[in-house]
Amino acid sequence: MADSFSLPLRPLTEKPDRPDTLPIEIAQINARWGSFRDVNEETLLAKIEEDKNRDPWEEEDEDDKPAEDVDSTERLETLYKRRAEILQFAMQAHMEALFALDFVSLLLSKHTPRQAETSMSTFLKQVAPLGSLNAEIVEPPPKSEAAVQDVKTVSRGWRAQNFNAAANKLLNSATRLEEEVASETKYWDEVLAVKEKGWKVCRLPRERTALGVQYGFLEATPIFRDRGLAALRRADNGSLILDKGLAPQKTRTVRVRVKNRDQITGCSKMPDPIPDAASVERRILQARDTVYEEELFHELMREARIMGSHGVTTRQNLVRVPISEEQEILLDLVDADREMPDEDKIESTEHDILANGLSHSIRILLAYAHRQNLRRRTQPPPPLSQKRRHTPEYQLLRPVMAYLQHSSHVRWLESFMNDIYRVLRAAGVERDFHAVPFASVSLPKVQAVPKVESLVQQFLMPFESTFSGHLITPQSSFRVKIRTNPVSPPFGTHYDISIDLPHHPEVQPPGRIGLQNEAAAALMHFVKLDIVSAIALQGSKTAKNTTKKEGVEGDRQLTWEAAYPHHGELLALSNAGRSKKLKISLSREELKVETFPLRGLEGFGRSGATKAPSLQSQTWTSDQAASKPGLMEFVAEVSREQS
Amino acid sequence: MHELLLFASVPAHQHHELLQQLAGLTAMQPRHRLERRLVFKAYRKPGLTTTRVGASQDLQGVELQRLNKMLNGGMFYTQVVGPVANADFGGNPSSSGDPDVSMSGLEEKPSSSSSSYSYEDQPWKLEFRDIPEAGTRSAVTARLMASATLPKGDITAPMNAWGYSFVTEYVVEGDVFVLNDIVIFLHRVLLYPTGTQESHGPRRQLPAYQELSPLERTGSYVLQAAITVQDGGNQEMMRTASQHLFGLREQLKSAVRLEMADRLSLDTRAK
Repeated sequence: MADSFSLPLRPLTEKPDRPDTLPIEIAQINARWGSFRDVNEETLLAKIEEDKNRDPWEEEDEDDKPAEDVDSTERLETLYKRRAEILQFAMQAHMEALFALDFVSLLLSKHTPRQAETSMSTFLKQVAPLGSLNAEIVEPPPKSEAAVQDVKTVSRGWRAQNFNAAANKLLNSATRLEEEVASETKYWDEVLAVKEKGWKVCRLPRERTALGVQYGFLEATPIFRDRGLAALRRADNGSLILDKGLAPQKTRTVRVRVKNRDQITGCSKMPDPIPDAASVERRILQARDTVYEEELFHELMREARIMGSHGVTTRQNLVRVPISEEQEILLDLVDADREMPDEDKIESTEHDILANGLSHSIRILLAYAHRQNLRRRTQPPPPLSQKRRHTPEYQLLRPVMAYLQHSSHVRWLESFMNDIYRVLRAAGVERDFHAVPFASVSLPKVQAVPKVESLVQQFLMPFESTFSGHLITPQSSFRVKIRTNPVSPPFGTHYDISIDLPHHPEVQPPGRIGLQNEAAAALMHFVKLDIVSAIALQGSKTAKNTTKKEGVEGDRQLTWEAAYPHHGELLALSNAGRSKKLKISLSREELKVETFPLRGLEGFGRSGATKAPSLQSQTWTSDQAASKPGLMEFVAEVSREQS
Repeated sequence: MHELLLFASVPAHQHHELLQQLAGLTAMQPRHRLERRLVFKAYRKPGLTTTRVGASQDLQGVELQRLNKMLNGGMFYTQVVGPVANADFGGNPSSSGDPDVSMSGLEEKPSSSSSSYSYEDQPWKLEFRDIPEAGTRSAVTARLMASATLPKGDITAPMNAWGYSFVTEYVVEGDVFVLNDIVIFLHRVLLYPTGTQESHGPRRQLPAYQELSPLERTGSYVLQAAITVQDGGNQEMMRTASQHLFGLREQLKSAVRLEMADRLSLDTRAK
């Protein structure tokens, strides 16, 4: 093989046949130092010492030193003199050069008269005719054998020296090339490895000779899209360096924290900072993640600015989103490896899951926005006009906020309804309600858009939950729709209550209720109204029954009539003139029924003094332990009572 | 609206490669497009007099004047474009499509047809293109354009009512790319098989796709880069649009040569 065959580049160094002969050395010493008699150790040492001390520039300075002593006029004189000298020398040199030119021109004029004539001086042209000088090669006298030998030796030495130098240079460049090849190979191997991982490797647009890798997102906002390109540079040893230019090298990430009652109770998971010795692949990933996170935060900021009406506030590097009275979400962009300052100390990890969920959601929503951008970009564009197309803010915070808001409202209503129904159950009324939280979220079966997109789309639409149930009287029912609209006005959560009260067909709830208190009050009112009608109904039924049965006179039932149903008041008028009033009050904790005796209709006026003795009341609370007679039994009881 | 155009001819063998290049350039997958194109010719209805000849002092907008001219003045060929799908081709031609029925929607759907193509549900769009502007200094084709959505189904009756008669039809097949404001359409014209020529109206059934033959025998494609400009009177917008087109021309320089079309070959005037 070729590589087994090595050709020496250096000339063979042959030992000189013999060292310089003594006579030659003696001759050299004589030439330099003169006679041997004058050379002794002292003079030599002195000479060496002198050489050592002497400044290399001393000779030139020597002449200047005395010049400092003379006064200025003399200095000027010497200056002029020197100048004149210099001029003189220059003139002389010029003259000599001209003479030489004339000489050469005259010499050449024999062979090329036309050309030579141009460089001849006029004086020469007048004096000497052209071509009057000729040159011939003269056979030199034969050199002595020794001289020839000397020249030969010297030239051989020169040649050997040159060969040596050339060989050195060649070998050096060979080594350098070898290193270069090794490092290039390493570089390209790593570039290939990057490419094989599926990254897009391309030429940098600005710097046509460098390679770059694209890791950014094509659909991102232009500033972030353009940042998704980094140069792949070669270090001296050939390893790959990811050169992101001026962009910071640190890993940055959007941190989501949950603040509950001024305490931070949850924080999203942070990525691990990358070690210094991370692979290029890892670095590219990190760069990609960082650019994504920065875009995410940029878009969060952009969106937060238009959400001032929702109570979202922004600071330089912080977005604060209120969720409920006591909870808020903090979003900020932090370095992954930063130590947390003390004021940010995380008190508990109670809401870590929430924070993590939120951080995943906003990232998914940004990816969705990217897909939407692609969709928009590939549609035929509208005609070019002077109006610039505004890129709408992405929906990142709004769906998240709407979801949290909605679920908090749903939970509140559920607990409220639970309380009411527990009170009713305690009073012996077995009714139930049915809650469908997030009824609007359903996954479509067939879709034109890809599954992931339709999945996300569901969460960008208004949320709706429904509660429905029966009330005490048959046929009466209620239905509550909670709607939260994240995108278009009206923003916020609204309660849509519809009821079906056959006994009070004229009662209809207000159209759209925005406050929890109002919704609670309305619902409570309807339940109370229904209890009143239930009692009235019960009374009329039993009355019918008793008349059918021809009941005993003394045990006659009172018939309750809903006198002021909206106040929860019923009246029973007996033939005996002893009327009674029944008052129902309902709250989240308890249901209370009181009876007051009345003396005739005009008894209202002076009932204060007389009613006291036979006041009866019954209270059912949601957490009562002992079982009490039910509402209907109690009503039957008080209506039976006669005196 | 104005339309600025550049064209290039793409030989058949370069078609696939160019598709790849365009997909890379525009960072999107091609959107395949199949269109039926019906050519209608305007004719002057007897009894219809041209109004206001010579009343040039009217203070009318340029656009309105143009529109007037378009309606009353010169006669133009217009195209009615309907998007179709690949699956629409190859219907059973024996089905009873009565070409004389003028109202759309009244006809019974031919049940024997194996194809899903229903002429009655075919959406249409009217595309008017003026002859390209003459004497423009810039090296792009610029022309006035307008599009309008038409009723679905049989289109000959309304078109006749508007004074247009059916001339011929053909199919355009191609791929669309979008690069910022530029719509790049790499397409070719396909002709219906001769023989079963229905000269009196558009076809109700489409023949099998394989039976269509390219207008250009070599199967070469046309690359069309277009920008629409809302206001053709706005010089700055027009310049920006041409600049965009020139930018694309530079980018595609090594692949195809985009240039402006011969004005008279795009003449839509009916003589």
